[in-house]
Amino acid sequence: MGPEQIISELHAAALSSLERATTLDAIEAIRVEALGRKGKLAEVSKTFGKLTPEERASVGKLLNSVKQDLELRLDQRREALASVERDARLEAEWIDLTAPAPGVRPGSLHPITQIQRELEELFVSLGFAIMDGPEVETEHYNFDALNIPADHPARDAQDTFWLKDGRLLRTHTSPVQIHALEKLGPPLKVIAPGRVFRNEEVDASHEHTFYQLEGMMVDRDVSVAHLLYFMKTLLSSIFHRDVTVRLRPGFFPFVEPGFELDIQCLICGGKGCPVCKQSGWVELLPCGLVNPAVLRAGGVDPEQWNGFAFGLGLTRLAMMRYGVDDIRLFAGGDLRFLGQF
Amino acid sequence: MKFSYNWLRDLVEGLDTPPRELAQLITLKTAESEGVETHGNDHVIEIDNKSLTHRPDLWGHHGMAREVAAILGKKLIDPVKHVEFSGAAPIRVSIEDYGLSPRYSALVFENVTVKPSPPWLAQRLEAVGLNPINNIVDVTNFVLAEIAQPMHAFDADKLNGEEIIVRSARAGEVIKALNDESYTLDPSNLVIADPAGPVAIAGIIGGADSAISDSTTRIVLESANFNASSVRKTSAKLRLRTDASMRFEKAQDPVNTIRGLERAFELMQEVSPGIRLVGGLADNARLPAPQPPIVLPLDWLNRKLGRAIPAEEVRRILESLEFRVEEIEPRILSVFVPSWRATKDVSIKEDLVEEVGRMVGYASIPPVAPLTPATVPPASPEREFHHIVRKMAAAQGFTEVQNYSFVSEEMARAFSLDPAAHVQVVSPIASDQNLLRTSLLPGIWKNINDNARHLEQFRLFEIGRAIYPDREVLRFAAALYSKDDGAAGLFELKRLAECLLPGVSIRPTDSSASYEHPRRVADVVFVDSKQGDTKLGRLFEFHPRMVEGGRAAVLDLDLSRLFECQPSSKRYRPLRRFPESAFDLSVLAGSRALIADVQAAMAKLAGEPLLSIAFLREFTLPTPSGEKARSLSYRLTVGAPDRTLSADEVGAIRSRIIEGMRAAGYELKV
Repeated sequence: MGPEQIISELHAAALSSLERATTLDAIEAIRVEALGRKGKLAEVSKTFGKLTPEERASVGKLLNSVKQDLELRLDQRREALASVERDARLEAEWIDLTAPAPGVRPGSLHPITQIQRELEELFVSLGFAIMDGPEVETEHYNFDALNIPADHPARDAQDTFWLKDGRLLRTHTSPVQIHALEKLGPPLKVIAPGRVFRNEEVDASHEHTFYQLEGMMVDRDVSVAHLLYFMKTLLSSIFHRDVTVRLRPGFFPFVEPGFELDIQCLICGGKGCPVCKQSGWVELLPCGLVNPAVLRAGGVDPEQWNGFAFGLGLTRLAMMRYGVDDIRLFAGGDLRFLGQF
Repeated sequence: MKFSYNWLRDLVEGLDTPPRELAQLITLKTAESEGVETHGNDHVIEIDNKSLTHRPDLWGHHGMAREVAAILGKKLIDPVKHVEFSGAAPIRVSIEDYGLSPRYSALVFENVTVKPSPPWLAQRLEAVGLNPINNIVDVTNFVLAEIAQPMHAFDADKLNGEEIIVRSARAGEVIKALNDESYTLDPSNLVIADPAGPVAIAGIIGGADSAISDSTTRIVLESANFNASSVRKTSAKLRLRTDASMRFEKAQDPVNTIRGLERAFELMQEVSPGIRLVGGLADNARLPAPQPPIVLPLDWLNRKLGRAIPAEEVRRILESLEFRVEEIEPRILSVFVPSWRATKDVSIKEDLVEEVGRMVGYASIPPVAPLTPATVPPASPEREFHHIVRKMAAAQGFTEVQNYSFVSEEMARAFSLDPAAHVQVVSPIASDQNLLRTSLLPGIWKNINDNARHLEQFRLFEIGRAIYPDREVLRFAAALYSKDDGAAGLFELKRLAECLLPGVSIRPTDSSASYEHPRRVADVVFVDSKQGDTKLGRLFEFHPRMVEGGRAAVLDLDLSRLFECQPSSKRYRPLRRFPESAFDLSVLAGSRALIADVQAAMAKLAGEPLLSIAFLREFTLPTPSGEKARSLSYRLTVGAPDRTLSADEVGAIRSRIIEGMRAAGYELKV
């Protein structure tokens, strides 16, 4: 048997062993047996000395190609085995992703906070400043400076929580109008969201504690047309669609002229439904041009400046937006309610 | 206020707008209609009283008819025909204070027959919600409903003497009124009196003793004017609101008293045939000077409305409402206010903007964006911070609540607060909710117990104001309820505190309040090397006796102070260029030793090379004496800014700490 034949047989034998090998160790044994320094192919190459140079060149070429082929086959086989092992390992790593994820879920912000925040961002983008006023107010800021004198019937409509020290809990956010005039001076654009109080019996639609957002703009020649523009912008933003508004006369001592602003009913589009009591319109907010007496009370000359003001009921807006039918839920602290927002 | 459609038709020539449509127009231009109802062959338009508080004239049909005529461009019919009352006054009228009663007018009739009213009169009254009583009283009510002039008829034979006196009540004076109630009066109440005593509470109700009865043959018919505020106060004090008082409260027109008598004179003849006037008109008045006309520049008016209104249109509108208009200069009007609008409603040019605006229709004004400089509004960093706090709390699972500002004295005491230090409400919504909260804890505590009835575990927080006599402080309180041993909840809240203010320090304290768990309570403190310590609030567990079925941990912070402690600016520090070295140390400490104290002691010993020190773990082990000791392990990382520390240098730092700690009495496991 010549060396070429021996090489071919060794090649065939190694390939056949490789076929049967099922572990990396077995593959390594085959490699050592065939390709190792003391392996069978190395043994064969020791006999090359007897060959002619021509024969040696031809056998050497064969030997190299067999070695290369075996190396390649060994690699492939190793790779195939590793892949099987990896697959088996990964298979064992199966987890049930429908199991609940650990860790705490975010809580939620109070619905009134959310609406208030949304409106704050809107008004800031329109150039309005945001101001706070005290919840405990003086008669001066809550009534007198707002052109509501002591015997004014408007005080009828506002059942006031009087305090033993002679002050009161603000019945509306309007006192911030005066604070803003005093602090910022004209021209100004300001909103003031906050908590207000009315001494009312509590039921599903009445609360003694609720939230309003006051708005005011004072500049040269502020007009009803400007007021309408801001109200339309505001309401379209709140309701995320174009809103049809109308103004009708409304009496509030701190504005003149004063308006009730209605929006066309969003449920029926103005055709009439139970929500709008068949009128097609829903009363939404009082507004008007700032009464000169209010400007004067805030130290601003009404011959030089004028403005508009409005008051938005944030609690009422939250009820409309989320369809809440019981106002008491807002201050009830029930997480089954608050967690829904 | 109810308005009869048929009545309005009598007063507006050719009124043919259907009632519902008319009610809509009134809503848009004058006052809010609350609906239309059928009443026999009539329709009744109900107008919201609140939208009429500033309009004394609209408390009668003639006033509303004037609006309707102006809205529709039709002619207003005045139901009052002028009468010359000649002859001497049969009674004397004295008025003590014209400020309280600017005018008192009266007529005396004889040969009066008291009987039921004719159907047309009774029906009119019923339609607008007034009960027919007899022809004489019904005439007074008819005039009240028609021209808003309250009137009163006395039985003249039951009055003493020939004098009517308008005066303050004497203290303790008692009057039995038409409603059969007796009222004890004081000098703040105005009465109508004869020389023997009070016969009516001025502007509110007549007396029972001089009431019209079937046997009445002579009457004194009062048509007076009283101060709005005085009537309002007396009405409120006596808890007695009448159709008369509701009108006088709105400041009625003193000119109207005579018109009332003129109208009644005509009606009396119709309902009580044979009735005769005795003498002439008694009229005592001291009327306030009429207000000067209002100067109305038309260009100014247009600027206020934001729409140009033609001059003729302005004039037509004002005149249709019976304002007298003169053009004193080109485009400048002088506007005389009619007496029935002058008592308080219209006095400045802004009032005329409303008159013109509502009549042209606000729908005709297009919305216009104002031309103002685009300026960035002043920042409100504190408000932004509050929102960051909210979002951070929500992100960590806390849901926001809003609690009432009221607490009871009992609750204040339960939270170790002195009720006397609270602002107190005069008439609280419930008798025990009479204090303004100085702490969010009572509300949070209630939230915990309420929600524990439904939920196994929960987290909630509130941002709200604590109200003190001299200031309002925004506070933050968060709570975590669970049914475990409560320890994890405290650490969740500690983490929240550290997120709200990095570097905040939790300092356990032995002085606990009765509502706090005595061994799970700490001050939350911010330490500033320059400013010193700022106490921000408390981290504690509610005393277990205060919480049903579980444990509740609470973080209670002064939000204003928390904001003040926020880092004002941030500045970049270069990243380290040289490697750092770390080693671990374990310290044996007493069972109540504080991890933070041991850490601080080691940090101090490590000195400047210390880059960070982190607590790793602890475990408890018995000591030979039988007490429990804790082994506390820390990882210290050291380094130098300009080079790599050698192993010897690191070793030296480590030895320094070990020796130092041993000197301080700690045992180290090395």
